[in-house]
Amino acid sequence: MSEALALIVDDEVQIRRFLRAGLELDGFLVEEAENGTEALKLATLKAADIVILDLGLPDMDGSEVLERLRGWSTVPVIVLSVRSNETEKVRLLENGADDYVVKPFGMAELLARAHAALRRYARASAGEPVVKIGPLAIDLAARIVTVEGARIMLTPKEYRLLQILAQHAGNVVTHQFLLKEIWGSPHLHDTHYLRIFVRKIRQKIETNPTQPRMLLTELGVGYRLVAPEPANSVPA
Amino acid sequence: MVGVTTLIVYGLTLSLEIRRGSAVYLLPVLLAGWHLGLVPALVAAVAGVLWSGYFFFSPYYSFFVVQPNEIVNLTLFMVVAVVTSHLANSMKQQTELARKREKEMGNLYAFSRRLAVASSAADIYHAIAEHLANLVQRKVVLFGAGALATQGGASEQALLSERVRAAIAEIEAGRSPASTVEDGAGDVWFVRRVSEKTADFGVIAIGSVPAENVEEVRQRVDEVLADAAATLERLDVARVLNDARMRSETELLREALIGSVSHELRTPLASILGAATVLSKSPGIAADERLTSLASVVRDESERLNNDIQNLLDATRVSRKQITPRQEWIEPQDIVNSALERRRRRLASHKVALDMETNLPLIYVDAVLVEQAFVQVVDNAAKYSPAGSAIILGAKRNSRHVVLSVRDAGAGLTAEENGHIYERFFRGERHAATTPGSGLGLWIAQAFVHANGGKIEAVSAGADCGTMVEIHLPFAATQPEVAPDE
Repeated sequence: MSEALALIVDDEVQIRRFLRAGLELDGFLVEEAENGTEALKLATLKAADIVILDLGLPDMDGSEVLERLRGWSTVPVIVLSVRSNETEKVRLLENGADDYVVKPFGMAELLARAHAALRRYARASAGEPVVKIGPLAIDLAARIVTVEGARIMLTPKEYRLLQILAQHAGNVVTHQFLLKEIWGSPHLHDTHYLRIFVRKIRQKIETNPTQPRMLLTELGVGYRLVAPEPANSVPA
Repeated sequence: MVGVTTLIVYGLTLSLEIRRGSAVYLLPVLLAGWHLGLVPALVAAVAGVLWSGYFFFSPYYSFFVVQPNEIVNLTLFMVVAVVTSHLANSMKQQTELARKREKEMGNLYAFSRRLAVASSAADIYHAIAEHLANLVQRKVVLFGAGALATQGGASEQALLSERVRAAIAEIEAGRSPASTVEDGAGDVWFVRRVSEKTADFGVIAIGSVPAENVEEVRQRVDEVLADAAATLERLDVARVLNDARMRSETELLREALIGSVSHELRTPLASILGAATVLSKSPGIAADERLTSLASVVRDESERLNNDIQNLLDATRVSRKQITPRQEWIEPQDIVNSALERRRRRLASHKVALDMETNLPLIYVDAVLVEQAFVQVVDNAAKYSPAGSAIILGAKRNSRHVVLSVRDAGAGLTAEENGHIYERFFRGERHAATTPGSGLGLWIAQAFVHANGGKIEAVSAGADCGTMVEIHLPFAATQPEVAPDE
């Protein structure tokens, strides 16, 4: 994971300073941009591995930067958002952001999101088939799910739901994305489908389904399967 | 009257030597015609003929008249009297009609002036009710029109019979524009919408309409309401435009304020908090426990400040009534778990236990608002109970509600305090000096819970006996379903 290049896009110099320090301490190389134009230029020139994008930029809206970036790049983007605006978070996630953290945030939270996003891209390119989260192992190639080594049976839609979350492990997946992928566009607003299916999945994978440790709810946004332990990780 | 006239005339003839006093008898005819109508006038005319024949035509003091010219005279008198009485009568009717018209015109004029200067729908409703009551001399009750009408309060509505209320409801629901209904006590009510076009402007009910002139009353009411409805429509448009302009102005101001507050205060906070977390993990500081604890002081305090800012912003939203819940189906436990996750650091020094039933019904609420309310309650529990004591977060159901609860073993509430805790800026006297706070938390929590159709309740055995706060949220008896997996 080391030597990954993170591009910080924020107009506040103090935020950039602590982000740089935190990311460098974690082994990242860091580039900074203080506005959207510069961000788009640097993203092209420097081939960033991950973009930390603030939404309030002086020259253009963060969402516009995201949109333009997504025109040609699949680089992971973590959005720095403000609280109490779930609609905006969902919109950004739908428009290609990989995750968000809410200001003010602790460095550990941002690093967890960033690593999860980076791992997803790495996994996708390396074709790594198994996602392991604590006792849970999801073999995306063999379509087998085990808890503590014991195979558990899921219905096709339950598996599909878990599969999508596993593919995004560590990052949030919106209700709309899940509903569209599993039930199709007509059911975009039937969040109760998800509630019912997630309840069933939790009963199968969680030790205590009322206090889930792996399949977490992000209120108003979606679901998150907690970050898997990377093969070569040192506990934080 | 004819007798009185005769006496006067007789007196006159004696003193003034007037002959042919018969013309004087036209006077009672005229008076009777004017005041009493056609028939009394004719009676007066006949009586006049008889009496003048008796008194003034030879032979005097006899009803016989012998001289031909006097017969002609009396016949002429008769004709003149009949015509006069008729004229008098019809003139009186004309005058009365003119007076009535004048009064109506006056009323109508006053009414249209009131409409023209009406600046609120309430003014218009008042004007309509008064004017119609005046015009048809009937009891008039106005209903509905949402928040617009101030007429027809609950007390007035309660006086109406079941049938009339049913008719009103029928029309309010837009199933028909007007109807006539008998209220069961022999009273006929005419009910119609204020505006022909829409039920938005409310419904008017006019009581004690005589069955034989329902049509007439209907016609007059229609005329009056046509004007009024037009004004209402005009005013309503104006009101909507005005509201929109006002809203957009205050909205802009609010956005600007909230934007600047959150940006100006939060940006440095984000830097402080972020920097503190980086510091606490940096090699030099992480090795020294005293330094890491300092770093976490910086973090905790900036988080507290951030919450205070959030409370201020939420308070603005509450007082501006700008809470619009975005409801969705949610697992009640998800709300508790999310709040616990958010407050994990804050609760680190307490013994937190979870007591949640399994398979709770899904609830249809704005999960984010409810979680924020729950977090407020959790914050209070953490704030007003000693470190090391237990805090129990619960979720259970009763017959109609899902109940989320926070129980602590802290300062508790006196009965007096419990009566005030939901008031804005209320701080218990016992804590005002020792525990920082704004007195906004529960007020905000209550507003958020109410916005979701729920209620919030605090139970405490008294000071220092701990507190249990419950958030009750209704659940639907029919739970949403999903097609079984193929």
